[in-house]
Amino acid sequence: MTEANETDGARGSTPMLSIRGVTTGYGKIQILHGVDLTVQRGQIAALLGGNGTGKSTLLKALSGLLPVWDGVVEFDGEPIHQLRPDQIVRRGLVQVTQGKDAYPAMTVEENLKLGAFTRSDRKGVADDLERVFTFFPRLKERRNQLSATLSGGEVQMLVIGRGLMARPKMIMLDEPSAALAPKVVLSIFATVNQIRATGVSVLMVEQNVRMALLLAEYAYIIRDGKILIKGEARDLIKDPNVKLSFLGGTVADTSREIVA
Amino acid sequence: MDFDFSSLFAFILFGLTIGVVYGIVALGISLIYSGLDIVHFAHGEIYMFGAFFGLVFSEQVGVPYPLALLSAMICAGVLGIVIERVFYRRLTRAGGGYTVAGMGMIICGFGMSVVLQNIAFLIWGADAEPFHVDLGEPYQFGDISLPKSYALTAVMALFLMAALHFFLVRTKLGLAVRAVAHNKDIAFLMGINVPLMISLIFGLACALAAAAGTLIGPMQSVQVEMGYLMLMKAFAAAVVGGFGSLPGAIVGGLLVGIFENLGAAYISPSHKDIYAFLLLILVLMIKPSGLFGVEARVKA
Repeated sequence: MTEANETDGARGSTPMLSIRGVTTGYGKIQILHGVDLTVQRGQIAALLGGNGTGKSTLLKALSGLLPVWDGVVEFDGEPIHQLRPDQIVRRGLVQVTQGKDAYPAMTVEENLKLGAFTRSDRKGVADDLERVFTFFPRLKERRNQLSATLSGGEVQMLVIGRGLMARPKMIMLDEPSAALAPKVVLSIFATVNQIRATGVSVLMVEQNVRMALLLAEYAYIIRDGKILIKGEARDLIKDPNVKLSFLGGTVADTSREIVA
Repeated sequence: MDFDFSSLFAFILFGLTIGVVYGIVALGISLIYSGLDIVHFAHGEIYMFGAFFGLVFSEQVGVPYPLALLSAMICAGVLGIVIERVFYRRLTRAGGGYTVAGMGMIICGFGMSVVLQNIAFLIWGADAEPFHVDLGEPYQFGDISLPKSYALTAVMALFLMAALHFFLVRTKLGLAVRAVAHNKDIAFLMGINVPLMISLIFGLACALAAAAGTLIGPMQSVQVEMGYLMLMKAFAAAVVGGFGSLPGAIVGGLLVGIFENLGAAYISPSHKDIYAFLLLILVLMIKPSGLFGVEARVKA
């Protein structure tokens, strides 16, 4: 984790992730129509939008699961849009999928070890396993249980922990708060905050707009495969256009304590 | 009525021996199914090729039998990887399972089976080749004498199963294989080189079939059409155990072996090959998903 901080100085001010004019889709159906997006080092950027706007498609294109038709994806100063997904993971860009994508027939510990598949430093992996367990003590209690037996919140913790096991420079979270109880959402967001504090950059796809804006430095609002609004999160939270299109108030009142 | 228990025991013992062989072929079929989402219909021919490889190494090259077994496994593994890379992957890339591509895959498998059989015919001819392995005097258990080739077969097959289990459960690479089998996209996001793992899975499954061929060679003989019946029996074993389940494949193999031998002994020996399918029908009537099968496979 400290590596990311050290390279900061060396690489200067190049952004961690820079996307220009990315188009992609499934088969012949185009979903993204030229997306530009930047994630600065050590920051959290939020990608917001409703269902079917292209959020998850963009993540798939960034992690190599979908071919990028056109445009450039630069990670850590190098183009990655023609690499295989496993090569992208080795570069340090890790996508954390939704909780349902934990391997149900494997134990918690096996899932976490799978996250460290690209690494061969046993000592470092063992250390990181302990670190994930300090982030999520519940996972330590359940380390030998099959992940099928975990609750929704625990599975979400597991996939985030699994992503950290790769010792990434940046993680992309796909709706970490989806279908979770408000209290669990708070603890997940608090963890994302801690992850940033360790020097890892974060791109967070969310539907919980208010929470995401409180946590992130910068935010993009996507609609119909294009970036519609972008700006500093603290400005967007006051923006009447954003408010109009998205903001509900469900967990808004309790959410301040985690950012404070 | 006086029942002869020692001959019953003998039939079960012989059934188990042939059953473990069905089991390892079924294991390969299940491994390919769970890993690649395809039903491999040319697996019987890989088994046949494996038997011929074993024969060639043992009789013509003249290496010791265990080494011939290992060499046959490696050759068949490589053959399988080449077949998968060159032919099957073009179809599986378009999707898998019971889709249109899945249907294409099944036909391609049948085609491959015919092609491999004819290639084997061109190389080795149609005659049954005896496979001589001199292992010495049979073991005696009371009244029953068990030829050493049978004992060796059972021991080797069990060893291979244990080794596969160890590989899948205890090693990092095995963990990756299981991850690929469950969900390829997520496995990719773990940094696993999925195309390489698919080759590995296919190669392993083919190596297991070759082991079965080389093990069964000394008991029967080696012949270009031996694959068909083995495929059917192993298929029955895999379905009885629950398709895609690895422990199920082994248990299914043992059951098919025992059932077949008992049927041949107590009902009629001339219908020996029917009993496997009788068992298949019985199991499917009682538990359609097979003994160890899951009712419906949930795939994200």
